[in-house]
Amino acid sequence: MTRRVAVTGWGCVSGLGQGASESWRRISAGDGAIRSFALPRDDAASVRAQGPAAAIDSLDTGQIEARFGTRAVGKLDPMVTYAIVAATEAVEQAGLLGHPVLDDRTAILLGCGSGGNATFETGYRRLFERGLDKTHPQTIPNGMISAAASQVAMVLGVHGPAMVLASACASSAHAIGEALHMIRAGRVDVSIAGGSEACLTLGSWVAWNSLGAMASDTCRPFSVDRQGLVLGEGAAVLILEAWDHAVARGVAILGEVVGYGASSDAAHITAPDRGGIERAIHSAHADAGLSPETPVLISSHGTGTRLNDATEAAALHAVYGNALSGDTVIATKSAHGHLIGASGALEFLIGLMALREGLAPPVLNHLGTDPACDLPLALSQQRIDLAHVVSNSFAFGGLNAVLIGRRA
Amino acid sequence: MPPTREAITAIISEEARIDVEKLKPEETLVSLGIESLDVVSVLFAIEEKFGVEIPQEEIASTETLEQFVDVILARVASV
Repeated sequence: MTRRVAVTGWGCVSGLGQGASESWRRISAGDGAIRSFALPRDDAASVRAQGPAAAIDSLDTGQIEARFGTRAVGKLDPMVTYAIVAATEAVEQAGLLGHPVLDDRTAILLGCGSGGNATFETGYRRLFERGLDKTHPQTIPNGMISAAASQVAMVLGVHGPAMVLASACASSAHAIGEALHMIRAGRVDVSIAGGSEACLTLGSWVAWNSLGAMASDTCRPFSVDRQGLVLGEGAAVLILEAWDHAVARGVAILGEVVGYGASSDAAHITAPDRGGIERAIHSAHADAGLSPETPVLISSHGTGTRLNDATEAAALHAVYGNALSGDTVIATKSAHGHLIGASGALEFLIGLMALREGLAPPVLNHLGTDPACDLPLALSQQRIDLAHVVSNSFAFGGLNAVLIGRRA
Repeated sequence: MPPTREAITAIISEEARIDVEKLKPEETLVSLGIESLDVVSVLFAIEEKFGVEIPQEEIASTETLEQFVDVILARVASV
């Protein structure tokens, strides 16, 4: 029999704030985090780039420093600090801080799309801008894409398998999906799974902008006159735990992870492919044993780019057919922006909270229906009574991951 | 920032991520958990702030924090 996998903790930090409760309070009320933003940060006199973004303005690491010492969060890339903040919140909520299961029967699977942008850019500026011949000795250990897995393992004392998965905008959805199957396979009892990203740096920003993918106004998923994506930053982490293990501990079960489907378009390095998306959604339903006819909450990828949204909408119509009218579609990037490697985890977390609260957070900034994106969108805060969330993540390069969660 | 003992200690605190209050002169680098990566990070920051390059070998024989700071101060002050 397949091992059931519970969610027993969650934590996040994004432009919406620090902590799952605060993030839910804001997003459920339609209080989005996208604001005007300029780079470099804190240097209004020498602005090089500006536009909308969902940035993290402040981060309180006091509790973490008090618990684990200042060495836990000092001098790290923000990508790593965000991961520690979200993971600690999740592990604490699950009542697992200091629990023996962390020592040998726990995995860490975190997604990240790009690595330590700020750390590497600081090094490059020294080399190429100032003509210096040294970078900070900790440039590699702070900036390496796997640094978050290592630091979370050190802080929490996790000695099991730990790694960072990279699949661009689907990284953390892949991480949670693989964590689900790791627990099902009996390799571990607990997995700290999610992702983190800190890409609001000048180099990253300019590169995204050069691609023509960014909106100059705001993020308007599935709307007419949508221009593109808006970058965010942060981390989201869930505690996945073997159902029996969670029940035996008597911990509150917040939700269940029941399905995971992944596919590769093998088609184009940026353009989405309807066939690949459909394959991932079908695969997730098959894994969950859930008929596409069953009404669900769909936490869409919904980036707000012209092509992505239209392709996702077409794929949803193809997969769900007439049943789609009974589903409810949310697009939370309109509130927290695109967290690249951390998006999938944050959107799945918000989807599980929505099931639990019986409330769909509104799709923001919607100006009108695009005939190519005619979906049952929750355009205002909406009561729902749905048992399942299907959470979509479709990355550049055609790497797709779809998660299905169930209300506990 | 003048090259005072306090200034050097502040740099060690920042680079090694250890509270200043814990950086007592008689403590050893080992007891404070200051490892070689922390040492090269401190030397990097010293070079950055004072323009003085200190080879890692010069601090190899230092044991206590006071000796570590003394070596750095001597080199920084000699410029």
